[in-house]
Amino acid sequence: MKIKMAWPCLLFLAALFLSAGAVAEPDNEDKPFAEKHVVLQISDPNPFKQTLVLNVANNLIKHYGQDKIDIEIVAFGPGLRLLLADNSNLSRIDGLSSQGVRFSACSNTIKAFTKKLGKEPKLNPHSTRVSAGVVRIMDLVDQGYTLIKP
Amino acid sequence: MKKFIGYAAVLTASMMTGSAHAANWLMLQGTESSSSAPRAKVWGFIQPEFQSTSGTELAAGPWKGQDAAFNMIGPDLDSSDTFQIRRARIGVRGTGFGLDSGVNYFLLVEAGNNGITKLGGGGAVKATDASVTFNYIPHARFRVGLFKTPGSEEGLMAIHVFNYVNFTSMARQQLLERFLAEDGSRTGTDKEVTNAPVSAIGAFRDIGVQVFDTFKNGNWEHSYAAMVGNGNGIDWSDNDSNKDYYLYWASELVFGGKKARRQGWKMFAWYNDGTRTLEYVNGVAGKQEFDRKRWGFGTTYLKGKWRAAAEFTWADGMIFNGSDGGAVAGSLNNAGTSRASLNMLPEDKADGWYVDLGYKVMPQLELDVRYDILHRGTETDKGQRDFETWTLGAQWFFNKKARLIANYEIRSAEAPGWSSSAPPNKILDGMDDRFSVQILAIF
Repeated sequence: MKIKMAWPCLLFLAALFLSAGAVAEPDNEDKPFAEKHVVLQISDPNPFKQTLVLNVANNLIKHYGQDKIDIEIVAFGPGLRLLLADNSNLSRIDGLSSQGVRFSACSNTIKAFTKKLGKEPKLNPHSTRVSAGVVRIMDLVDQGYTLIKP
Repeated sequence: MKKFIGYAAVLTASMMTGSAHAANWLMLQGTESSSSAPRAKVWGFIQPEFQSTSGTELAAGPWKGQDAAFNMIGPDLDSSDTFQIRRARIGVRGTGFGLDSGVNYFLLVEAGNNGITKLGGGGAVKATDASVTFNYIPHARFRVGLFKTPGSEEGLMAIHVFNYVNFTSMARQQLLERFLAEDGSRTGTDKEVTNAPVSAIGAFRDIGVQVFDTFKNGNWEHSYAAMVGNGNGIDWSDNDSNKDYYLYWASELVFGGKKARRQGWKMFAWYNDGTRTLEYVNGVAGKQEFDRKRWGFGTTYLKGKWRAAAEFTWADGMIFNGSDGGAVAGSLNNAGTSRASLNMLPEDKADGWYVDLGYKVMPQLELDVRYDILHRGTETDKGQRDFETWTLGAQWFFNKKARLIANYEIRSAEAPGWSSSAPPNKILDGMDDRFSVQILAIF
């Protein structure tokens, strides 16, 4: 009797697990009411792209509202210059960060910059290091984030 | 003394509240945006223009009936109405190595028709800027090379946002330096009597080292610059062992906006001290050195539709004194006994000021009016000449990068130490008004 009851329970749990795996739901504690989840990629050396990616983040917040959208900007390659401590967009990054936008800095790129500079570059205090920018983007996409590369 | 030290401490503390990437000429021309500047940004501008006067000839003096230099269009002085490419500049600027915002560079060359390419032998293309800035020391950036000297707003501001076609008389005659080897006292018909400039016009530039920075305190920005340079304009090296020294201070209440069209109210003061060498003075051959000092203060205002500026400038030593009889330098007098020379008053003085007002009647159209006056050679009654100009202008902005400027200059001049019927005043009475139209296209 005990074995007979166990089978349906196991099947139910398996179905629950599979369904959870098939449709990942982004879960960000800072943005519990977010209905949209976006990851913005900045990997371009063109400085105009820095302004553009910040503009896109700002416009998304304006459109959906600060609480309804969850944005993470992932910087890697030459795009990491956006998150260097002396970047001239510092005040804009401050502003976006205060509205809940997260900034991720690629550790691989930091290592490469360190090699070229002879010292580790100082990062914007609002940035968080991730092991690899591309991996971070893939993980976020797996979680249901929409990838936008302005 | 304690009070003074207290004020100094407060001032220093307020300056140290934060370094800003401010939009002012020192920063715009000498630095790049940290970690967001391109390695190499190619840019430039072209200024085709048409200028015209009535071409009134000299009414008196040994060159009577010949072209009056002040009614001809420079730099060639061949015609009283001409199309020309006033400026055609192309340059590249950036950080070179994008990961390090500590170093940036600025290179610009001129291929237009002006005193840079035409005077002193000139050349079809000439470098006007070639500088490297080091931003490693807090509050003390170093700029090294050839660049605009910290000084008068008219000279320091970027020419592609200059609101008129021509400079004021003070700036054109006494700040925009002509490098002459003699004072013009040599007589005769030989070619060297002309006393033509030995090098390109100064172009408000020098080669040297400048330390500068800008500090932000609330809505205020304070900028300083100190420079030592050759005092030989855009020539690649010095022509003597004397150096020029420059000091500059500006404080600006920033209203908003950014870059060259930033809105704010700025006050500034500047000082330039140098020495020049002449090889023939008062009819005597032999090298002699003379002080050349320039200083001034002024203000600019830009808010909404209104724009205003005023500057007061003084010059002591090496006063450019035009040409003999108002004739085009190099031309023979009617008797064929003397050639008109360019002249310098090595130990005289001059002063001048201007007030400038602009109003945007619509987003595309700005109307401008400027009054300027120059008192030249003020140490002697007979030698003094006064130049007064009202400039009426209109600027039509096609877009942010292209505009048309139309100016009408109501010009007059007099020799106050002479009677109205005396030859100097008869000559100056013939000064024509000048009409000019200029297109500016930035790329």
